[in-house]
Amino acid sequence: MTTATASPASRVLALGAAEVRLLLRNRTAAISSLFLPIAFGGFFAFTFNQGAVGGPGIWATIAALQLVLTFTMGVYITITQTVVARRQTRVLKRMRTSSLSDAGVLVATTGPAVAIAVVHLALYAVINSLLGAPFPVDVVPLALAVVGGLAVCVTAGFVTTIVTPSPERAQITTLPLFFVMFAAAFVVPVVAVDSWWQALVLVPGAPIGLLTQLAFTGGTWAPGLLGLPAALPGVLSLVVWTAVFTLLAQRRFRWDPRH
Amino acid sequence: MTQTTSEPAAVPRAADDDAAISVRGLQVRYGDFDAVRGIDLDVRRGEIFALLGTNGAGKTTTLEVLEGFGSRVGGTVSVLGIDPARDRAALRPRMGVQLQEGGFVDELTVQETLQLWQRLVERPDRPERLLERFELTGRRDVAVTRLSGGEKRRLDLAMAVWGSPELVILDEPTTGLDPESRRRTWDAIQELQEAGRTVVLTTHYLEEAEALADRVAIMHEGRIAVSGTLAAIVAAQPAGFSATVSDGAGALPAVSGAVEREGDHVRVRTEDLQGDLTAFLGWAADRGVRLSDLRAAPASLADIYHGVRTGSEQS
Repeated sequence: MTTATASPASRVLALGAAEVRLLLRNRTAAISSLFLPIAFGGFFAFTFNQGAVGGPGIWATIAALQLVLTFTMGVYITITQTVVARRQTRVLKRMRTSSLSDAGVLVATTGPAVAIAVVHLALYAVINSLLGAPFPVDVVPLALAVVGGLAVCVTAGFVTTIVTPSPERAQITTLPLFFVMFAAAFVVPVVAVDSWWQALVLVPGAPIGLLTQLAFTGGTWAPGLLGLPAALPGVLSLVVWTAVFTLLAQRRFRWDPRH
Repeated sequence: MTQTTSEPAAVPRAADDDAAISVRGLQVRYGDFDAVRGIDLDVRRGEIFALLGTNGAGKTTTLEVLEGFGSRVGGTVSVLGIDPARDRAALRPRMGVQLQEGGFVDELTVQETLQLWQRLVERPDRPERLLERFELTGRRDVAVTRLSGGEKRRLDLAMAVWGSPELVILDEPTTGLDPESRRRTWDAIQELQEAGRTVVLTTHYLEEAEALADRVAIMHEGRIAVSGTLAAIVAAQPAGFSATVSDGAGALPAVSGAVEREGDHVRVRTEDLQGDLTAFLGWAADRGVRLSDLRAAPASLADIYHGVRTGSEQS
């Protein structure tokens, strides 16, 4: 018998690595999750940058679209589909009989999607720089958009599994939140900072757009809606939605397709 | 033999050192449906315990509670001295579980599945040993999705017994297997017991319980109808004899057991087999009645199982 026993972290990495290997083996899944977002993100950068309006404003819009595209398609939808598929085939249940903790099973199952999303963001940064994008004037809101956006999309993915009985149905059940997040993140940056339309920032995903815009145009802590610092409603929205989705997922998440 | 009620025990009995599993008044509910209705269960260390019952009897639900996956609305549960609902983390390294179905990543090969399991399970073991033990060496490079049903069950069992855990829980380990594969699975289960491990299994097959189990419990509609050692259960049930009587036999003799007569076929179920059979044979001799197909036997597990089901349907 072998005597080596792995640490909890190495167990999570082992399962996560297996998930990545499986993704790479499936050519269709690999193309749709690895290359499609890059193709779309590059497309945004090329086409939007050709218009009459240039400068930091247009790059804020481009970066916001890239972020929200990766977070919604690459993280939110992928996590929903992956978790439902693994639940359907009882792989989640099997993994719970290993030495992995429940949190470890979930991190390993969803971690690759998050890691791929981060790689996409790095590639967007390279593409945008090559096409002449300015460096953000304030990286703090951009970091908040990335961290908060990931948190909202990961937890939203788990919540959507509650109402998704099969992987096929995930294509339907993820649509409402996908469109809401995508549209809100697109609209909020083009609304005036002190306009009441800024209340849209309370919609999940919208702060990704707002915070990205502030990163490129500045004014993160300047007075905005209700005289509050401009970034604050967005940050609060991300925190509250993450908390709400986490609470819902903790209460209703199902490991087993039976019940 | 014990008869349980739907009421949970007021005072749970303390688990003694000999008990691998001790359950008192377990109740599980899904919405409005009472899946398990207040059962008591004791499994001793080193024994093979079989949970029998029809589909929907509550067997898998009970196992899920023991494994720490199912939540209960009432009762107490101790598995290796641990409440699985409170401290599953402490139980995980000491328990191996075979699921009723699925649980495989279909795209992985048999070898990859076991190699991944090696990295995920704290108990040390080697894929090669399990491949050999469960006769999967020749199929090591085959994707799980291409395995036969029997091969999948063997791989499933290999993962459950990985590292020889103290307690092994098997949910219908031989369902869908051919007789030869079933026999080999029984051998593997008996090996676990010989190594001092405790095994809890569910099954639809009465012969499996008879071949393997030290003690059994028969579940029906969320309750344990009968439990104990096979010998004790059978001894507590009425034995029976049957015969075909020749034409013109007339009225049958008075016996203490229950008599069923269909045409010329007579069947008697009795707790006094010797006395009633003597009376019956004396009656036949006195009247010159010829008895063909005469058979006498103790109650079988099948009789008891059938009795549990029909008894419930009649109530």
